[in-house]
Order: sequence, then structure tokens, then C-alpha cells
Amino acid sequence: MHIPDGFLPLGQAAIYYIITIIALYFALNWAKENLDEKRVPLMAVLAAFIFAIQAMNIPIPWGTSGHMLGAALVAIVFGSPWAAVLVLAVVLTVQGFFFGDGGITALGANITAMGLIAGFTGFGVFKALKNLNRWVAIFIAGWASTFVAAISITLMLAAAGTFPLDMGLIFMGTYHAVIGVAEGLITVVAILAIQNVRPDLLPWNKAKSSPEVEK
Amino acid sequence: MNDKDKKFVMGGLIVAIIIAILAPFLASANPDGLESAAEKVLLVEEVEPMFEAPLPDYLVPALGESPLGGVISIVLGTIIAFLAMVGLATTARWFKSESNGN
Repeated sequence: MHIPDGFLPLGQAAIYYIITIIALYFALNWAKENLDEKRVPLMAVLAAFIFAIQAMNIPIPWGTSGHMLGAALVAIVFGSPWAAVLVLAVVLTVQGFFFGDGGITALGANITAMGLIAGFTGFGVFKALKNLNRWVAIFIAGWASTFVAAISITLMLAAAGTFPLDMGLIFMGTYHAVIGVAEGLITVVAILAIQNVRPDLLPWNKAKSSPEVEK
Repeated sequence: MNDKDKKFVMGGLIVAIIIAILAPFLASANPDGLESAAEKVLLVEEVEPMFEAPLPDYLVPALGESPLGGVISIVLGTIIAFLAMVGLATTARWFKSESNGN
């Protein structure tokens, strides 16, 4: 879903860089206050996992493929969408600078869509639905994060005059409605795996863990 | 970091690196959702990237299209992402201890 160079005029690309910098300011403040020692390695493992799984494009119909974003996964595991901003900023920056995946001029827009918007969407949907059923909520949060990020990228490209709004929404919406199913499933599997090996790392198990939480 | 955390990090990294090694063989080579949509509706000319990445498209230029270049690139990227995240998260936490010190 990475926007390449040349799809956004530089003035608009700059706006998304400014949004990214403001989001990173809040995300770093969140990390400063909320990241404890044992969750730094968790965050780094998730960054590594998301980098690798983003390279694993899954085929969908229409000769197209897609990969997961991971923003909903991070936001749910850390109980904060700001964590998703941090992890996706790292992953997308590495992809852009080392591998030419996503344009350098479009990096701000890519972090805005796949980190900030996907993270907040995934987290918001999870929070809204978690009382119905946690795992269904996680699946729908993953699906929605991909779909809404794709719609937001379409709106950016339509504003830039790069995509026509109507056809852009139809193609981007259809493809990512399908890719979102993979995002939802992988998000559920990844969180189930963490739940099995280290339940103490998940926010909903925190209250149940031992009283000596701090050390 | 205690033993449990070390085990978790090692296990997590191993899973990530296995995915990274398999990706060049298993990943679909079809264009992704945005590229596919662009093929159909793009209103502007495509341009060359503004910046020459050292491992463009997750391949080692000297190795051509061989999947080995893909394995090297994606494993390397996975490790760089891990280290960069440790660096950024540790830096953010370091500011906390700074402000607490005063």
C-alpha cells in the first residue's frame, strides 16, 4: 500500500510530514511514560515481525496481492494507538531508505495512513467491540485498519489529482476489503500466540498478573 | 531483562526471520492493491524514485533477481527494524529517567 514518489505534489507531501512529526511527538511522549523495560523487547520483536510479514504478499483475486500492515496488532497489544505510530514509523522508514519501498517524499503520507490512521482505526474498533467478543473484535479491528488506511490513501491521491476519486475508491476499496481479511486473521493468530507464550504482556491480563508488576 | 524476556525475544526473532527467509519464495509477485489500482486509474506519469535505495525492491543488485538476494535483503531489513525499534524505544525511555532525575 506504499505510496511511491511522484504520486503526491511536494507541498501536499510536506503536510503529511508535518502530521507525522506531530504524531511522533505524541507517540514518543506516550513511550516515555508507558513503555516499561520488558515491553521494549516486545515492541522490537513486533517491529521485526511486521517488517518480515509485510514482505510476504498474499495473492488475492484480480491478479493482485496485498500484505498486512500490523498497526492494529501493535495498538491492541500495547493498548495504545501511539505504539502503532512508533512501530510503523520505524518499519516504513527502514523500507523507504533501504529498500525503496514507498517514496521518500511520500514517507510522511505513508506513516500517516498506515501508522496513525490504521493504528487509531484498529484500536478504536477493538475498544468498541471487545466486550462482545475479544477475538471477533481483534479480527474486525485488523480488517478495518487496512480498509480505512486504503481509503485514506485514496483520498490523499484524489486530493493530489493522482487518482480519480470514484474509480480510486472502487478499486482501492475492493482490493483492501479482501486484503483486510488476511490482516484480521494474522492479527488474531499473532495475539493468540502472545496469549499462549506470554499472557502477562497483554493489556487485558495485566490486572491478573502478580502484584510486583513494577520490577 | 530476565530469562523469560530473553526467551520471548529470541523466539519472536526466530519467527520473524523464518518468515523473512520464506517470503521471497512464497510471496505473491503480483502488484499490490495500490499498484494494481494505479495500473487502472493513475492520472499522472510514474516517475523514478527520488532516492536510490541500496537494496531496491528487496533485492541485492549484484545478485540480480535471484531469491537469495531477497532472503538477504529481507533478513537484513528484519534485523535493522528490530535494532532501530530498540534504539528508538530506549531513547524515549532514557528521556524519562532524565526528567525523573531532576
